[in-house]
Amino acid sequence: MITKTILEQIEGEASLYFDMKGNIVDFVTIAFPHFRGMEKMLEGKNAMDALVITPRVCGICGHSHLLASVRAIEDAYKNSDSVVEITNKAAKVREITLVLEIIQNHLKWIYLVLVPHLRELSESEELLNTPLKGAYGASFATKILAIFAGQWPHSSYMVPGGITSDFTYVDLTKAKSHLQKLTEYFEAETLGASVEEFLSFESCKDFAPLESDFAKIEQLLIDLEMHKKGHAKDTFLSIGIHEFSHAAKVKGTKLFKVASKYVETQDAYAPDEKSYAKNALYKNQFYETGPLARCMAKEFKLIKNMHRRFKDSAYTRVMARIYETAYLLGFCKKLLDEINISEASCRETIPLKNISGTGEGVVEAPRGPLIHRVQIKEGIIKSYEIITPTQYNIASATKENPSPAQQAMLHCSQADAKFIFRTFDVCSVCTTH
Amino acid sequence: MHSKQEHKLKVFWLQGLTCNGNAHSFLNLDYLGELLEKTEFLQHPLLPSKYALSEMAECKTGCDVLIFEGAYDPSLKRAGVFVDKILRHYAKNAKYIIAVGTCASFGGIFKATSPQTNSGILFNEAEKNGPLQEYNAKIINLSGCPVHPEWLGFTLNMIIDRRKIVLDEEHRPQELYSSLVHHGCTRNEYFEWKVDANHFGEKEGCLFYKQGCRAPMTHGSCNTILWNGVNSKTRSGTPCFGCTESDFPRTNLFETKTNMSIPADAPVGVPKRAYLTVTGIAKTFHIKRLEEPLIDYKNNT
Ligand code: SF4
Ligand code: SF4
Repeated sequence: MITKTILEQIEGEASLYFDMKGNIVDFVTIAFPHFRGMEKMLEGKNAMDALVITPRVCGICGHSHLLASVRAIEDAYKNSDSVVEITNKAAKVREITLVLEIIQNHLKWIYLVLVPHLRELSESEELLNTPLKGAYGASFATKILAIFAGQWPHSSYMVPGGITSDFTYVDLTKAKSHLQKLTEYFEAETLGASVEEFLSFESCKDFAPLESDFAKIEQLLIDLEMHKKGHAKDTFLSIGIHEFSHAAKVKGTKLFKVASKYVETQDAYAPDEKSYAKNALYKNQFYETGPLARCMAKEFKLIKNMHRRFKDSAYTRVMARIYETAYLLGFCKKLLDEINISEASCRETIPLKNISGTGEGVVEAPRGPLIHRVQIKEGIIKSYEIITPTQYNIASATKENPSPAQQAMLHCSQADAKFIFRTFDVCSVCTTH
Repeated sequence: MHSKQEHKLKVFWLQGLTCNGNAHSFLNLDYLGELLEKTEFLQHPLLPSKYALSEMAECKTGCDVLIFEGAYDPSLKRAGVFVDKILRHYAKNAKYIIAVGTCASFGGIFKATSPQTNSGILFNEAEKNGPLQEYNAKIINLSGCPVHPEWLGFTLNMIIDRRKIVLDEEHRPQELYSSLVHHGCTRNEYFEWKVDANHFGEKEGCLFYKQGCRAPMTHGSCNTILWNGVNSKTRSGTPCFGCTESDFPRTNLFETKTNMSIPADAPVGVPKRAYLTVTGIAKTFHIKRLEEPLIDYKNNT
């Protein structure tokens, strides 16, 4: 018998249709019921307007959409023989603000999604429910972001040629000091170790002396046997080009080259309800995207070690998201130190009305590759396509070729399956742009 | 004696068609912890809540304050129930209804996607003919895309303290929306002397003349109550897009429409003739200090 469950608090909602064999999940299909029509809305508009509209696809990763948009427009410039080269400073700042958005996302996920659902599933009082830790940490990250971008959410400070912000040393000093405080906060409240020490860990055994939220989370995951559950396809995808990540397709532990042109979408298979989400595939195959995929592509020792022992289990997926938070905090510091303030923030470009052509922008958003594809005629948008990371992870396909999340939910209890679903950090609004 | 628990303001945060940006913006509030001591979220899309949305959707309880985020879409369901039904049930007994964000206030971005059917809860763009007319007296609009966290923080605190919130004609608190976003921008001196920003990425110059800044026509306090406590769009070189107004989103957002090279729209309340005269005079002067870079990093590093 198929039973429907609506899952909330995933940046919107999704319907899960469970086909049970006794108490065990035999198959699941997923439907996203809300339609918003962002792509259509962009048609006929000045291409610059995309920089204001697309961040509004999503309240938690709008900044990633902004970067994808500006990259798509700059790519269209390039394809119509007018290369836009941005300065190192602009490139670094774009990267910093993206990384900060990922950090705020992960901090919220840890304390607003993971902790409450771990408590519920394990019925343990060991780990305290402290949503404000997530909100407070995230608000610190967005404060630093706003020093450069004006505000978060929904900034539009990236424009073709660079960034609009002409910040000073006063701003930079403030940003560094806030980052220092955020890092110390994360070390004290979450890790129970310094970021540096944490990143030097090579195996799970190194966690033994820790007494922290992280240690409790890790222990609870093991108690729930999440290292033996939630395995997806053991194939990973990281496509966006950034300093902090490595673009690669990973099968098991082997790395292969990737090219975004192989990403295609198909209609979701959701026989019980109309779904407005489309599945995203790479060369017709499903891949897992997001922190675990990025950690595998970057070949981080600790995560590779976990993967060797527990493969792409729910445990490994959760650990990768926490690990990436620590890694990005350190990375952000490095980027801030490298900024040369005397470089231009924005280089002049020829007017957009002289541009006709197609462009693509690819970004590693918090949940994985985000692609914007635009077709421009004399500065006006002819068509706009957005492919979001959740479309790979939470695709809904048939039993013969399940998506990563569908695969991961098989052969366990329904309660476990719902938890495993959330380990992908689902974003409903992005999926149904 | 009543326990502290009983005094807490019961708040239900319901979503229409949205990006979740207002819910996330609210989490940036500096004094969120203190506010949560005084409120109890029966349901919030991100924060731990007393009830699940599916329980709230059964429409068996009530709330003191109903917060609505997102555009009103008559065909939309949440937790399997028409949002219209949930909205009307809770609106009836709530003391206040707060529309957070421009979508809930006027329709905003998610009206633009389905203009025939979607709207704000009280207003449909500038027309006051949204679905919740009968609750007109208790609706507060906190427009903005997204809502500024402190604007919502202020409003909830005023309700908790039982103070009167004075509203403007569009049901927005005067304390937050009586001045223009232009007020407090670090580029005001350039505005006065009509010195425009040559291009993006400079701290000098005003964005009103070429880059499309709508701040002189936009009600809000972005440049006095800073975003994330530190900044604003215009301070960081991005034009204001007028996101608190009923006509958001406009088009050609990074361009200023001009008449004979003078902005076609004058600041709110300033007669066009007065504006043209002042502009004409100001433009005849060249203030050297305002035409040079403020800080010369390039030649001094
Ligand atoms: S940039 Fe905009 S807000 Fe700033 S002074 Fe000019 S018109 Fe006013
Ligand atoms: S500066 Fe303008 S566009 Fe930006 S948040 Fe304020 S009112 Fe909205």
